[in-house]
Amino acid sequence: MALGAAGIAAEPEALVAQVYLPQREGSLQVEMLAAGRRNGAFSMTIPPRLGALLAEVAAGNPVLVLQNLSLPWVPLWHYALVVGYDLDKAEILLRSGVTPRLVMPLSTFEHTWQRSKAWGMVALPPGRLPRTAEEAPTVAAAIAFEQSNAPAAARRIYAAALERWPDNLALLLGLGYNAYAAGDVAAAADAFGRAVEVHPQSVPALNDFAFALSALGRHSEARAAAQKALALGGPWQDAVRDTLQRIDAAARAR
Amino acid sequence: MSHNSKKRLFVYVLAAAIGYSGVMQPAQAALIGAGQVAAAAAGQEHRSRIAAVIERPAVQAQLQALGLGSADAQARVAALTDDEAAALADRIDSLPAGGDGVIGGLIFVFLVLLFTDILGFTKVFPFTHQMKR
Repeated sequence: MALGAAGIAAEPEALVAQVYLPQREGSLQVEMLAAGRRNGAFSMTIPPRLGALLAEVAAGNPVLVLQNLSLPWVPLWHYALVVGYDLDKAEILLRSGVTPRLVMPLSTFEHTWQRSKAWGMVALPPGRLPRTAEEAPTVAAAIAFEQSNAPAAARRIYAAALERWPDNLALLLGLGYNAYAAGDVAAAADAFGRAVEVHPQSVPALNDFAFALSALGRHSEARAAAQKALALGGPWQDAVRDTLQRIDAAARAR
Repeated sequence: MSHNSKKRLFVYVLAAAIGYSGVMQPAQAALIGAGQVAAAAAGQEHRSRIAAVIERPAVQAQLQALGLGSADAQARVAALTDDEAAALADRIDSLPAGGDGVIGGLIFVFLVLLFTDILGFTKVFPFTHQMKR
C-alpha cells in the first residue's frame, strides 16, 4: 500500500516472498527498506519523532511504521501505514493489515510506536524527497537506491537531493555518474564541473570531470584536470592514472 | 543451419556482447562514484575516532606494557580498511559511555583486547580481522 501511494504497482503476493521471514513470522526493517528499493521506490527511514511522522503524512507521504502492540516482554510486532491524523480529536488513521481504515487514539499509537524506537519509513517515487529528510541519511539512501535501480531513476533522486543540498560532493558525483550511465555525457560533465567548482581539492571530482571532458572530446581540458588530480596525491592515485591513460588513448584514437 | 554458420552466429553474438561490455566498462571503471566517496569519508571519520581512543593515557600505558608503541598502533589504525574501521568504530560506539578519559575496568580490558586482536597479538573476538603484516 505504501508502494501504491508512490504510484508503483506491486502485487502483495509477490512482495510477501521478498520480505517475509517464515522462521520469524514477520519481516525485518532492513528488508522492508530493501523491498521498497527493489520495486523502484526511494525508501528511507524518517527521524524517530512524532513531529516528523505527522509532517510526512501532512505532506502526503504515508509512513510505514513498526509497532509493538503488546508489552515489551511479550512483543507483538506489527507494520501499519499511517495515512492521516486529526490533532483536534487526538486520533491517528492507519491502514493496518487487512483493515483499510483503523482509527487509533494518538496516545495509544505513541505507546505502541515508541516500543519499536519509533521506526518509520517512507517509499516515494524517485525524484520526491521526504519532507523531514536530513542530509547524511538522504545521501546514504540515494547510494543504496543506485545499487539496484536504473541510472535514469537514480539520477532523478540525486537531482532532487541537490535542490536541498546543492554543494554536497557525493550527491554531485552521484548525479554525474548516473547521468553518464544513462548516456547523457554533457549533463555528467556539468555535474562534475560543478563538483570541481565547489570542491576544487577533491581528487574524485577532478578525476570524474576529466573523464567526462574526454568523452566529450575536450582532450586538453581533460588532461589538465587529470594532471591536477594527480598533483593532489592521496588514495585515489591509481584511478587517476588509469583515467589519464584513457584520456591519452582517446586523444590518440581521434 | 549448418555447423559453420552456427559457429559464425555464435562469434557474432559473442563479439556483440564483448563490444557492449566494452562500451559500458569505462563508466564503471574510470568514474569514482558517490558510494566510494561517501565510504572513504566515513572510513576517515572512523579511523580518527579510533585513533582518539588509542590516545587515551590508560590505553597507551597498556599497549606500551605489551611492547606496542603508540606510533606503531596509530600507523596500523591508519592502515585499516574502511570496512574494518567501520566495524571497530561500531564496537566502540556500542560501549557504555565512559566519560572524559575515564574507562571502566571491563570496558578497558575489552578495548585493549580489541586492539591487540587487530594487531595480531591475540584472537579473542571473532569479528576482528588481523592486520596484514
